[in-house]
This record gives sequence, C-alpha cells and structure tokens, in this order.
Amino acid sequence: MGTQRDRVRFNVGGKLFETTATTLANAGRNSLFGAMFDENWNLRVAETGEYFIDRNPKCFSVLLDLLRTGELHIPANVPEKLLYREAQYYGLIDHVQAAKRGEFDGNRLRLAGSTTGRAPGDGTAIRASPDGGCCVAHGSMVHVYDWMLEEHPSINLDYQRVNDIGWIDSENIVITACERLGRVDGGMGLFSSSNGDLRYKFDVSHEGQTKSFTAGALSFSNDDKIFASCKGRTHEYGIGVWDQITGKQVDFFYESPGWSLGDADRLQWLNGTNCLLVATLFPRKDNCSISLLDFREKRMVWSWSDIGAPVTVDEKRVRDAIAMEDTSSICVVNEYEDLGFMDLRSSIGSVRWSSRSRLMKGKMSDEPCYPKLALHGGQLFSSMNDSISVFCGPDWVLTSRLRRSYGGSICDFSIGGERLFALHSEENVFDTWETPISLVA
Amino acid sequence: MTCSRVCGSVCKSKMSGQKKRNFRIEAFKHRVVVDPKYADKTWEALEHAIQEIYNHNASGLSFEELYRNAYNMVLHKFGEKLYSGLVTTMTAHLKETAKHIEASQGDWFLEEMNRKWADHNKALQMIRDILMYMDRTFIPSTNKTPVHELGLNLWRDNVIRSLKIHTRLLTTLLELVHKERTAEVIDRGLMRNIIKMLMDLGSKVYQEDFEKPFLTASANFYSVESQQFIECCDCGDYLKKAEKRLNEEIDRVSHYMDSKSESKITNVVEKEMIANHMTRLVHMENSGLVKMIMDDKYDDLRRMYNLFRRISNGLSTIRDVMTSHIRETGKQLVTDPERLKDPVDFVQQLLNEKDKHDKIINLAFNTDKAFQNALNSSFEYFINLNPRSPEFISLFVDDKLRKGLKGVSEEDVENVLDKVMMLFRYLQEKDVFEKYYKQHLAKRLLSGKTVSDDAERSLIVKLKTECGYQFTSKLEGMFTDMKTSQDTMQGFYTNYVVDSGDCPMLAVQVLTTGSWPTQPSATCNLPAEIRGVCEKFRSYYLGTHTGRRLSWQTNMGTADLKATFGRGQKHELNVSTYQMCVLMLFNNADRLSYKEIEQATEIPSSELKRCLQSLACVKGKNVLRKEPMSKDIGEEDTFFFNDKFSSKFYKVKIGTVVAQKESEPEKQETRQRVEEDRKPQVEAAIVRIMKSRRVLDHNNIVAEVTKQLQSRFLPNPVVIKKRIESLIEREFLERDKVDRKLYRYLA
Repeated sequence: MGTQRDRVRFNVGGKLFETTATTLANAGRNSLFGAMFDENWNLRVAETGEYFIDRNPKCFSVLLDLLRTGELHIPANVPEKLLYREAQYYGLIDHVQAAKRGEFDGNRLRLAGSTTGRAPGDGTAIRASPDGGCCVAHGSMVHVYDWMLEEHPSINLDYQRVNDIGWIDSENIVITACERLGRVDGGMGLFSSSNGDLRYKFDVSHEGQTKSFTAGALSFSNDDKIFASCKGRTHEYGIGVWDQITGKQVDFFYESPGWSLGDADRLQWLNGTNCLLVATLFPRKDNCSISLLDFREKRMVWSWSDIGAPVTVDEKRVRDAIAMEDTSSICVVNEYEDLGFMDLRSSIGSVRWSSRSRLMKGKMSDEPCYPKLALHGGQLFSSMNDSISVFCGPDWVLTSRLRRSYGGSICDFSIGGERLFALHSEENVFDTWETPISLVA
Repeated sequence: MTCSRVCGSVCKSKMSGQKKRNFRIEAFKHRVVVDPKYADKTWEALEHAIQEIYNHNASGLSFEELYRNAYNMVLHKFGEKLYSGLVTTMTAHLKETAKHIEASQGDWFLEEMNRKWADHNKALQMIRDILMYMDRTFIPSTNKTPVHELGLNLWRDNVIRSLKIHTRLLTTLLELVHKERTAEVIDRGLMRNIIKMLMDLGSKVYQEDFEKPFLTASANFYSVESQQFIECCDCGDYLKKAEKRLNEEIDRVSHYMDSKSESKITNVVEKEMIANHMTRLVHMENSGLVKMIMDDKYDDLRRMYNLFRRISNGLSTIRDVMTSHIRETGKQLVTDPERLKDPVDFVQQLLNEKDKHDKIINLAFNTDKAFQNALNSSFEYFINLNPRSPEFISLFVDDKLRKGLKGVSEEDVENVLDKVMMLFRYLQEKDVFEKYYKQHLAKRLLSGKTVSDDAERSLIVKLKTECGYQFTSKLEGMFTDMKTSQDTMQGFYTNYVVDSGDCPMLAVQVLTTGSWPTQPSATCNLPAEIRGVCEKFRSYYLGTHTGRRLSWQTNMGTADLKATFGRGQKHELNVSTYQMCVLMLFNNADRLSYKEIEQATEIPSSELKRCLQSLACVKGKNVLRKEPMSKDIGEEDTFFFNDKFSSKFYKVKIGTVVAQKESEPEKQETRQRVEEDRKPQVEAAIVRIMKSRRVLDHNNIVAEVTKQLQSRFLPNPVVIKKRIESLIEREFLERDKVDRKLYRYLA
C-alpha cells in the first residue's frame, strides 16, 4: 500500500488518532480543521509526525466518526452537552445539529426531552426558533433556550404582561406586551436571544405623535415586515406594520367600527395572496370574527363572523383559526376539537364542521386549555388538553396523536427548526419532539 | 489541571415543594483561572502572533495553541478584551501600512497598495482562523462586526480613506483612465486589482470613492471632446467616434470595473456625446441625416439609429427628420410638371422611392415598426397631393399588364402587383382608381392585349381582399362577359354555317351594361359586308336571349383585313373598327377627300382624325397617302390608297394614335362621373347612419359618413351637406323643429 500521502495523525489529549485529509475536508473551511490545513498555515509537524490538540479524546472520537460517516453516535458515557461544547470548539456544531435531527414529520415524532421551567404562573406562549431553540412566555417573563436547550438570559419588557412572542431570526426575538396605565411602557421590543438585551423598541405614532400602546398577536412577512395587533389609548386600534430592518412603523390598518382588529388573537401573513389573516376569538371577545386584510388597498378582502349565528345546544365556538393557502381555505377548531373549514374563494364565509365530533363534554379536564392549530409541511396539528393530534391528506384524517401524561394540559405548541415544542400548563414543563434520523438509505 | 467534581444543586423552584431534589453530575470543567494576569498574557501571545502573521513569520506559530488561547479567552469572558485588542492591533498595523503606501513614489503607489492589500487579505484570513471561535459565538451574540468585515472596515478607514491616500488614490485612478482614453497603455491588471479592492470593501465604498468621481470626470472629458469633434467632423465621422468611445467604455468596465457601472458610464457618454449634440448632428449640412438618406449610407444610418436608440427621444428625432424629408421629396415628385408627362415613369419613381426607404429601414433602422409607420403616413400624405395619382397608378398597372410583364416570372409579377397594391393603399380616392382601372381593364380585355390572365385575376383578388367584394364585383363581371362571349360565338358559328369565302368572320363580345365603362357610343356606318353578319348575329343572339337589347360599340372593336398592294404583295392589317370602315371605302375608290370619308362613315370627327392620322402619317404603316403631306389631318385633305406600301412583316398592326393619358376634357368628364357615383354612396351612408341613430346633429353625421367611406374616398363636407338636403327634400330626413342643427330619420 505504501504511505498514504493524505494521512493525518492527531494526538488529542494524549490519545492517538489517525485519519485522512479527505475525511477532515468534510468539516468545511469554516472549522478548526479547515483553517488548520489551509495552505496559509504552513504547519510544522512535531517530530513525532502528529498534530497535538489539547482536548477531550472521547468527544474527538465521536466527532471524527461524524466526519467519517455523517452519523452521530453518542456513547452513554459521553454527556451530550459536553459533546456539544467540543463540537463548538472545533466549529462542527452545525454538523452535529444536522446529524442529530431528521426532517420533521408529524407522524414519526419521538419525545426528545422535557424541560422544566421555574415560572410561577400559567404559560402564555411557546415559539420555536428557526434553528431549533425556543422561547417561552410566562406572565411578564420570556425564557430563551437554544437548540441544545441551554437556557439563555431571560427577557422582559418592563415586566409587563407578555401577549405574544416571535423569532425574527435565530438571534432576534420580538415581544409584545401590555401597557401599564399612566406610564409609557409596554408595547413591542426587539431582544437579543443570546444575551437578552433590549435592542430596539417599536413605536406607534398617530398624526406625528408617538403613542403608548398594548401590542397583541404577532406575525412576520417574508418581505421583512412585522405585523402586530395594537390597542392605543384613543383611536389607535388596529394592526400596526413595522419594517424589520429599519424598525420604523410603515403602515397602520385602523379597525372599522364594530370589527375588532386591535384585540386579535391570531395574525397570519399569507405570502401567496399578500394578505394578513386576523382572527379575534372567544373568549377575549364575545363573538368570533376572522378577516383577510389587503394592506396595499387598505381593504378587508374577506371576512366572517359568528355574530347573529343561532346558538345551538351543542354550542360550537371558534377557538383558533389558521389559513391554508394551498387549498384556499381557513381551518378553525372549537372547544371539542372539532375541525371546521371555510372556503376563502366564496365571499360568504360559512363553517363546514367536520362530523368527527367526539363527545368530550363529560370528560373535560379541570383546567381546560383552548385548542390551538398549526400547519407544517402539509400536516395539520391541533392541540387539545394533554395531547396533540396530527391530521394529513386532502380530507385531513387523524393520523397520529402525541401525548404525555406528565405536565397537564397543553396550553400552546409551536413547530420550527425541525422540532415541535409543547408547553404544558402545569409546572411549565415543555416537551421537545423530534423526528429520529432515518438511517435507511 | 482539570478536575471533575460532584456537586449538588437545589433547584430553587418557586412552585410548591412538589419538586424533588435534583442531584446531577456537572460535566467536565476547565480549570479555574487562578492567574489574574491570565487574560493579559494570553492576549500578548495572540497579539504577537498577529504581528508575526503580518510579518510573514507564521511558520513559527502553533495554530492549535493560538486557537486554544483565543477559545479560552472567550470562554473565560474575556471576549470583549480579545475583540478590542484585535481592533487596536489591527488599526495600529494598518496605520503603519498606510505610511508605507504614502511613501511610495509615482507609479509604485498603486503597486505598493496592491501588495499590501494582498498581504492584509491573507493575514486577515489567518487571524480569522485563530479567532474562529470568537467569530462564531461571541460576535453574533454581542452584535459585533465579524472579523473579516472588521478587517475590511479598518482597511477602509485607516488606509483607503486616510488623509494622504484618499485623494491621491482617486486622482491616480482617474489619471490612469484618462491616459487610457488618450491611447496610452496602462497596467489593466493592477487597475483591476485596486478597483476590485474597492468593491470588496463594499458597494458603497466603490461608489463613493471611485464610481461617482469617475462618472463626473468622464462627463467632463466627453463634454470637451464632443465639442471638439462636432467642430471638425462631419456627422458620419462623429458618429463613428462616438460609437468607438462607447465601445471603449463598455470594454473598460468589463476589464476592471463593476459590471453595474456599465449602464452608468454609457449613460454619461450617451448624454455628453449624443444627446447634447443630437439636433445639430441630425441637421448637419452636407452630412446630416438627410444627406445620409439621399446617399443610401446604410452603415452611417445604422450607426445613428443604434446610438440614438439609447437616448430617450433619439429615435423620434430621426423619425421626424426622415418624415419631413420624405414628404418634401415626395411632394416635389408628385407636383413636378415634367413627371406628369409620363404616368408610368411617375409611378415607377414612387415605387423606387418606396423601395429606397424600405431598404433603409430594413438595413439601417432595424425594421423598426415606428419608422415603417412614419414612411407609410408620409407616402399617404404626398401621393394624395396629386389628384391624378389614382389615374396614374391605374395606367401603370395597365402598362405592366399590357407589355411590361411579358416574359417575367410569376413571382416577379406578384411582386410588382404587391407594390402597386401598396401604393393603392395610400390612396384616399380609391373610387377614382376603380373608375380608371375599369376603363383600362375594358380596353385591355376588348383589344385582347392583356399579357396574362393570371396576373389580371391575381390583382382583382388583391383588390378584393383590400376593399371587399363590392369593389370588384363589376370588374369580375367583365371577365365573365368575356368568357360568355366566347361561348356565344361558338354557338353562333355552329348554328350559322357561314360560307367561308369572302364573308368576314365576326367576333362579338357581349358586354353587360353597367359592368363596363360605357362611353357615349358613337355609332358609325359599317361596311355592307359587315353589316350583314352583324344582323345575323343580332337575330341569333336575341333568339337565344329574350328581352335583351344589343347596341354596337363600334368605338371599341378591332378588325383584321387582308390587303393586296400594288406589286402584289399581301399583308394582313390589324386595325380598329373605325380604321376598317375607312379602309373598306378604298376597295371602291383610289382617292377620297376627308369630307367624303366623313360622310360615308359618320365617324365622329375627332375619332376620324385620329384614325386617319394613324393610317396616313405613321412611317412604315402608311397604307394611305395624304395630300398635302403633313403630320396633321386637315378637313381639306385628300387621301389615296398607297400602292407602294411595303413592310417586312406579313402582319401589320396599325395602332391608333391614342392619348394614353386622358386629355383635359376627358379628365373633367371622369371626375364628374366619379362625383356623380359618389352621391348615392354618400346618401346610402347617411341613411344607414340615421337609421340606427334616429337623431343626430350635423357635425356628427359628417364625421360618421367620413369614417364609413374613407376606405373608398374622402367625402367633401359640402357634398355631404348637399346630400342631406336632398334627402330632406325626398323626406328621408327632417330637421328638428326646435334645434335646427338636429336631423331626424323618417321611417
């Protein structure tokens, strides 16, 4: 065989490893190995013919294996966090992250772990970050976790009650909060996810004057805009729009009389139709109303409301709504987890409830949580009590249910960074669900 | 020294004590830093390494150690110190570098800067390698500028924009560009590197520190140069120079500038060299656009088109000048009294003119639709300046179809006809053309002079597609008559077997009244022999077709005569019916006076004179002799049978001296007939419009009538008014009793 010219020997913390330059090249230029073997660094080799690295050999072994095979196998005696830190040292953290999680599939989710919080009150919201971390809002505090579920400094907006949170990117979080009477605070702020610093505070101005306001539900468009429902002191009810880059307010959609926008529970930006879905729901308001806003024409292009609908014994009230652009419809859910659908193409909105009603009235848990909806990769998710149901296909058949007995009802959940996070109301536990990587080629 | 330790931690949960105590093993920890000077020492080592890297001494460094040191500093919360240290060290080094670059003389300035820039780039990469951990973790979480970008920013602030370099760099670059513009060779590679450096520093730096001043300097340069050029060059040369400059700039950008600069610099050249001098260029005497068009300078014209196209109103400037030139020359052409003498040549000139400009538009103006439209509207304008254009075009066709197309391939025939149709399209008075065309076609058909039946029919089809069925139905009727006449004659001869001896053969063409241009038929006394056959035919025809009336159109016929002359030579004479009548008289007499002939034949005197002229005054065809010998026919003249007539040919065709072109009274007559024909058309249009509108005011009627009829002719408003009055008289319309300007339709 002769001596292979690209063979490389390492002495890591006293243990010898032998590999090839080809294997190391898999690490990419933006890693310790990439830099080390760049021609700029005309490295001198010790007399022993080895490169010495003063690090943990057990972890090196795992990471070297990752470079060789693209797979991550963590032995029981290597703590995961230690491995992450070592990967960060070598600049291989992206490789580890990629190897650890498979492509998100609602039907193949496995519980990857539970994280216990310390918050005193009920959870408000949980939001997954684009890179697999999350943030959790409790009362007036927001706790931030990176993808290793390492907790970062927590965030607050003048310790005001948080209404909604959202990730602009993996470094930036937006918080909306209530305004305290008589003081200029609350509103909306941009925070660093890594150190919790307040980076920017968004203003709402009316007729040239900056006003204090309560910000509610959030949504982001892919052309760098932030939408938030706003309630000001006097006339400033509606949807505010800000530019993500400049932070300046660029638009405001004032609500028309009798139609609540400032109190909206959910905003959803629809890229295909350039519209914003605004849903105001029971029990924040007595009646539910859903509308689509076109900001360019300052016009409500579609709307639905249950005002005047006959109240039946088997009362069905919309508790959450989500627009599904692929099928030009809106999916809604009631407190019995019945799904209903509305066609966006017909101007007269009427809910077509699916008949899959389960009589759950009798076994409502003591601390009911309102159902929530999410859509991801063509799969529809709906949370109810302590479980999350997954629906697939054109007729949205129930295909999976995620449940864990510990932690009580699920008050919110979020999907992002190939993970699903479910926030439980008791003890502020949140569960992380992942799709295991498939090794079958 | 490392140690693992076990520690218990109590989770301070604010919730009720239901939470169990949680013991866990804390992972592998780095040794606690004891040395208070640890951070300083580590930084010193790193700073030293940075210096060594800049000094090209990196081979003595341990990458692993430096990397670990940087990592440790970040880990032990000295990231801030590491970062600010980096900024300080790099700034200091770059200030030093700036001094070196400043000190370099003349041409070495850019060389030195290029070298230092390459060094800095390489060092920056290596520094970033060492500080990779900081770059990946500390910098994003503190929102600081990443190492690579930081290095570029520091280079920008401390080198490029330092007091003594900033303007010097700019002037050097602009000087080099200027040198290149004045045909000196410069080091383009170096230029590219330096400008690439500015681009690497960010598009803003490139734009502020180079592009903007470059564009200003270029504008000045070209403003001066274009002024010089325009003073001493003719238009063609100027355009060549402008084109060359433009290409040079595009080439320059591709060699050493950002491709986004191309449109900007070309805009400058376009503005300075073309837009600012556009009008003067186009109107340059002896070399401007008009001259180019006159001389068919396709290359120059194409160049002008391509250059002017870049300017917002460039093409419209060309178009306007071209249009007024074409109109002017066209106007001269159609109003030149010399030209009017030869209608065929007149039309040929128009076609040549059209061909010339078509060729220019195709070859030089990119077959631009707007230009074609301008050309068409110009032709439409001047062709209609001459009221005789319809007649001339018809005459041209007549000429072509009589003889011009003999031996020409089918394709070429089509070609000529298409061109004629194109001219036809420009005509406003299409009905006048129709009138003349009908006359000329009748003559061709009756005299059997038409060269090609296919060509005739092809033109009819073209006219039909252009103007519709109505326009050509009568023309087609003429063709049908010709065909039926043939059949009729066959029938006649099979039924009446005529003794073949002396009796003349008769060929009759039965023409439907209305389809043919009827001329006031001047009948004449036919010779007795002929009269007999004619009578036989009349009775045959009326026998087969009841309820018809036949009247002889002797002015339109022809005859073939066999004649024997003095020395016994025999000839076949091909003559008109009138001429035949005259010649037949000489069967019984050798000498006849004008008066005698006139009496015997009763041919109208103008026709008779013409026919005698062609029999007696044309050399080589003078079967008659005249006394006195002169060119013109007088009422006192006497005619003799010319015994001595001789000809090389057996068949002798004796043409009538015809005025091809209409004479003045004839013209008036045609005109009048056209006007007469228009009346019912105008009336029909008025009635059609009023029937649908019921009530309309005068101006609107005029507008609508004009619109409806414009495919045939442009009706005169006065005529329309008269027709309306006539219709009111005949109670088709009435005036509104209140508003006199309104007309009502009476159903």
